[in-house]
Amino acid sequence: MGISFDWAGVLTGEPAQWLLTGILTTAYVTLAASLLASILAVLVLGLRISPARAGRWPAMTIIELFRNTPLIVQLMFWYFAAFGLLPLSWRLWIGNDHAWARLPGGIGIISPEFLAATWGLGLFSAVFIAEEIRAGLLAVPVGQREAALSQGFGPWAILRHVLLPQALRNAWQPVVGQYLNLMKLSSLATAIGLGEITYQVRQIESYNSHALEAFAVGTALYLIFGLVLAQVLSRFEPSQIAKRKPGTVKAGTVALAMVDAAKGIDCSQGADRGA
Amino acid sequence: MSAIKSSMIEYRHVHKWYGDLHVLRGIDLTIGRGEVVVICGPSGSGKSTLIRLINRLDDLSQGDILIDGRSTAGLKGRGLRQLRAGIGFVFQQFNLYPHLTAQENITLALRRVVGLAEPMAVQRANELLDRVGMSDKRDSYPGQLSGGQQQRVAIARAIAMQPQILLFDEPTSALDPEMIGEVLAVMREIAKTGITMLVVTHEMGFARELADRIVFMDEGIILEDAPPTEFFLDTRHPRAQHFLRQLLSPLHTASE
Repeated sequence: MGISFDWAGVLTGEPAQWLLTGILTTAYVTLAASLLASILAVLVLGLRISPARAGRWPAMTIIELFRNTPLIVQLMFWYFAAFGLLPLSWRLWIGNDHAWARLPGGIGIISPEFLAATWGLGLFSAVFIAEEIRAGLLAVPVGQREAALSQGFGPWAILRHVLLPQALRNAWQPVVGQYLNLMKLSSLATAIGLGEITYQVRQIESYNSHALEAFAVGTALYLIFGLVLAQVLSRFEPSQIAKRKPGTVKAGTVALAMVDAAKGIDCSQGADRGA
Repeated sequence: MSAIKSSMIEYRHVHKWYGDLHVLRGIDLTIGRGEVVVICGPSGSGKSTLIRLINRLDDLSQGDILIDGRSTAGLKGRGLRQLRAGIGFVFQQFNLYPHLTAQENITLALRRVVGLAEPMAVQRANELLDRVGMSDKRDSYPGQLSGGQQQRVAIARAIAMQPQILLFDEPTSALDPEMIGEVLAVMREIAKTGITMLVVTHEMGFARELADRIVFMDEGIILEDAPPTEFFLDTRHPRAQHFLRQLLSPLHTASE
């Protein structure tokens, strides 16, 4: 007896609608959490490498805490425990229907599920990204710092113009891996009821028992997401030193612009300055 | 180019410890304006540390270094950055910024430390690259250049800041033999401009031709301080004699 597939049970009617909602929700939560992770990573990194102990210790605590506990537990903590600590008026406001906060597809981004998932995924990814970039900084030879010191650069200028551009190149692959992980880990938000792809797949399965078809489609969707995201991120990759030609976009400009934007610092030097 | 301003350097009872290791043991040394001084000695003798203390890549443990009569031991923050910006340093490993082109390596500090506008910085960079014979490589990245070429760019980067003192920390030691000449030729041109120069090197040809004085160090103390003719023809300290013999004929001394 062979296995028979009924794709129409997944790709038509209500299940198709659910899948579309799931795709959009996964896209939105990935985007929102990635932006949050970038901002938080800059803050955590800034504290972690600051000369002040008062900055380093909180950063180290946050990093160890969120790197070494399961994400699903963190998500549940934010959703079930931390959310309940918010003032009642906030909780009621978040729980209300906000027509203005609906993105295409009718997905509301001001909901306890979406906010908790974004925050949880963002923070979890941020500590990893911060540590990857810090490792990239540590890999820059000490002579680079000495050369910049000997020219009269201050600590911030050395970081900004000499160390970070090299650190971001060193850390590029692992950092991209963290953003890809973030997308995949968004599936865990199904545990707090966020209507992303995995949530919808399970709903289809319990609706018409098309488990094989539903999970096959869900898997394919994650695969497409991953391939597209990897392709998009590779556009921003700082090219290798030896291969770079004059006139291309300066290495790390985009990532640094993100760093600077988050810190509110001028980054007007981003443009290439070939003669 | 305008006349070079150069500075005087005075070491006053300078000591340096790395933990328990006493690297410099009471250095007193005066280098006059525009003097070219070569510092030599066996490895571990403290010669690199001696020049790294001037722009405080290493901190003084005790004593003071006066530049044009002004104490530098207490400098920090902005004052220290200004001191460093006025002192060029050339490293053994070149230490060019690998993510920037040759030209950008020179303009970065001109723009961010000196505050020159971009066209001015680019113009000065191009003049200096021309001076070290690297104008055709201005858009190359350090990884695309040979060691000798990288060191010439590094020297251009150091003099672009119009320093009053130039420090060289074994500038040719990491180079293949055939590239040493091109770097020494650039250094010769600079030595003739009247800038104060301290050069840690084993290149005795350079020392003989261009140094006003040769300082020989061992075990953290200065054992000889003499003009080249005197240093080479009338070497007084036995350890300096041994060092010179070893340099001139390494095989001979090894089998001694």
